[in-house]
Amino acid sequence: MDGIIDFFRTAPIPPDVLAPSLWLIIALPLLGAFVCGVFGRMLGRANVNLIACSAVAGAFVLSVLTFWATSDSAGGRVVNFPNPFGLERDVVRYALAHDYGTWFAAGDFRVNFGLLVDHLSGTLLLVITGVGFLIHLYSTSYMEHDEGYARYFAYLNLFVAAMLTLVMADNLVLLFVGWEGVGMASYLLIGFWYTDPAKAWAGRKAFVTNRIGDFAFLIATFLIVLLVGAFNRQADPRDFNAAGTSRERYEQALSERGPVNFKGLEKMAQGLPEGTGGKVSLETPIESGPLEGHTFGGVMTVAMLLFLLGAAGKSAQLPLYVWLPDAMAGPTPVSALIHAATMVTAGVYLFCRMSSLLVLSPTAMATIAIVGALTSLLAALIAFAQDDIKKVLAYSTVSQLGIMFMGVGMGIFWAAALHLVTHAFFKACLFLGAGSVMHGNGDETDIKKLGGLRHEMKWTWGTFLVATFAITGIFPLSGFFSKDAIFHGVEHNHLHGLHWVSEVVYALGLVITACTAFYMSRVYLLTFEGKRSSEARVAHAHESAWHMTLPLVVLAVLSVAAAVYAFPLMPRAGGGMQPVFENFLSPVLRPAETVAKAAETVELDNSTPSLLAYLTAWLVAISGGGLAAYLYLSFFPKRAGQPVGAVARAVRRVAHNKFYVDELYEFIIIRPIKFLSFILFRVVDSLVIDTVFVRGTAWVTARVGSALRYLQSGDAQAYAAVMAVALLGGVAYALIQVLQ
Amino acid sequence: MVPITYYLLLAAALFCMGMFGVLVRTNALVVFMCVELMLNAANLTFLAFARMHGDGIGHVSAFFVIAVAAAEAAIGLAIVIAVFRSRGTVNVDDIRTMKH
Repeated sequence: MDGIIDFFRTAPIPPDVLAPSLWLIIALPLLGAFVCGVFGRMLGRANVNLIACSAVAGAFVLSVLTFWATSDSAGGRVVNFPNPFGLERDVVRYALAHDYGTWFAAGDFRVNFGLLVDHLSGTLLLVITGVGFLIHLYSTSYMEHDEGYARYFAYLNLFVAAMLTLVMADNLVLLFVGWEGVGMASYLLIGFWYTDPAKAWAGRKAFVTNRIGDFAFLIATFLIVLLVGAFNRQADPRDFNAAGTSRERYEQALSERGPVNFKGLEKMAQGLPEGTGGKVSLETPIESGPLEGHTFGGVMTVAMLLFLLGAAGKSAQLPLYVWLPDAMAGPTPVSALIHAATMVTAGVYLFCRMSSLLVLSPTAMATIAIVGALTSLLAALIAFAQDDIKKVLAYSTVSQLGIMFMGVGMGIFWAAALHLVTHAFFKACLFLGAGSVMHGNGDETDIKKLGGLRHEMKWTWGTFLVATFAITGIFPLSGFFSKDAIFHGVEHNHLHGLHWVSEVVYALGLVITACTAFYMSRVYLLTFEGKRSSEARVAHAHESAWHMTLPLVVLAVLSVAAAVYAFPLMPRAGGGMQPVFENFLSPVLRPAETVAKAAETVELDNSTPSLLAYLTAWLVAISGGGLAAYLYLSFFPKRAGQPVGAVARAVRRVAHNKFYVDELYEFIIIRPIKFLSFILFRVVDSLVIDTVFVRGTAWVTARVGSALRYLQSGDAQAYAAVMAVALLGGVAYALIQVLQ
Repeated sequence: MVPITYYLLLAAALFCMGMFGVLVRTNALVVFMCVELMLNAANLTFLAFARMHGDGIGHVSAFFVIAVAAAEAAIGLAIVIAVFRSRGTVNVDDIRTMKH
């Protein structure tokens, strides 16, 4: 036993050797994207498949080595690096980092190209490259009849590179580079079949919606930069002391690493609470600069709310979730990788990364939790009446992301991160299963026209069933534990002054669990159980190739095995046991806990769920699934052919039309903007710029020129005479000046 | 020693003669010679001031002017020859095609 533990505690490549090579993890997929994109046509299909898959596989191997190194404790010395913002002995444990120098600098502001891998980003590295590799493998079969394979794999590799940049960045601006990179790759892949106007339109919709969020993200970053400047000016030694640093070290680190470094932000968060006895607290007004007069806490709340809007764009939350269901226009493996497993969880990752700042603002946290709960509920209700298998899964993704936001908003960060991981497994499995179903049924996506696939596609059926159980939250699959950990935290954590939020969000959470169970069972039953629909496109479905079923099996196994992370197996510092994943992420999330305790903004509860809580969640899930089973296996088939009540039809129509949210946005946002654009086009562009400025200038020049050309006689001596007279004039003027 | 005023007056007289020639003569070759006369008037002024100040800057300038004048004469005469070959005349009054 000790031998095994020692084996896992000794990284094959020592951390200090690995740290300077972290950039390779990003560079490999980037190189793959370059080669596939530029030379893809020349290389042919098999070579492109090989290059794209091996680039991600290489990144996966490096990620495994890195992840291993983040837990390295060979010889009793835990892997660490000195915290640039802390005192000399202050080290960041269980993490690797390397700073590659200044990226750009302007005045005091500076951004470094620095990479950081700790347990949080290490886990995500594994998910991104691991699930990413499986999806690349799956794609080699899924895209075997598509001519655009080189472009497809180039975009997919580009996405992986951008996503890796996002999670490995050690500062906000580099994170934003990855944030924009994944947005661009997502846009390119949604509109991959750009000859279809509807798909190109879906790509544009995703792009524009994301821009709104990115704008908020940028403003929030600017506010954070200003806040760091104000903190640095106003804090006194006691504030720095509370943050575990000194003014000299903090200023030196600011000048070396820039104000947006996550470690520096963490120190600021630790210096801000009131209990420090220092000069700066959340109620302190900022003395100078553009934010003069506003309090630190107020600015922090505004910044966090703006980050929420940014995260809502990327992670498809209210009010910006509308792009995700339309993003299903892209190839199905893309939906699995980008729009379910990785990119859309960027918002959750962002809040986990900034958890120490977030806990300073209970208002922002409550808003995040409520937004998450409402989004989750709305998406679950819409999913009830969708007939397109990918649309149901898309709304279920929105709903699950909402659950993660509830967790983040109520301060149970580790559970949100765990749900992120387990969701990546089972949702990727579901999407790939849906892709396999489409592949075997002539690209049919309407679940009403499928059915009975259980016997024809055995592997797809088995894995889809496991993933459905996982997302529904059936004991003992991973989804059950991760979702329950979130709901337990939601129920027991309390935001200062906002106690009602816990109860409301928890109640909504139970409703959402039942809804999830209902619509997922519906999709599963209509697709795989019952008789084959008479409207099916092909008479007999065929099972997909091993390239497609192998990833499904791996993901299904992972959806089961990931449950281990939620078992309370690790000893807690204060006695008792704590879940594995909480223990695992504690080096990353401990600053948030200390800040929350010092600032008294959130009461974090560390208890593990009781059996009763488990039983409640389980019963709720079973009842939702059972209701779906009764309705779709027994009730509706019996009533087939009978007229449906008017109320039921109206409810279904509203849900089927997605509660008319798209139409509402069309009416209150898109139409006015189009009208304004039309006015601007006619008046400003056509009239003022085109007619008056551009054509007007040309017209005046031409007229003046044609009038003046009569002065040209062609007589060289006449020109010389003019020059002589001018010279004479000049001499006369000079003489007058001299004489005066 | 001759006072500097005389030199300047001589230079001014040369310049005016040159300019008069440029403005009224019609033969392109004569116009050219008049231009040279104006350049030499300028040279004379430079040298006069150089002598007055007792330094070499005026000499340097004069050498530059001589070099420019040589280049100008070479190109100018080449243009005159080219014009004569194509039009059979060197009369500036007859060469007025560059007009509106």
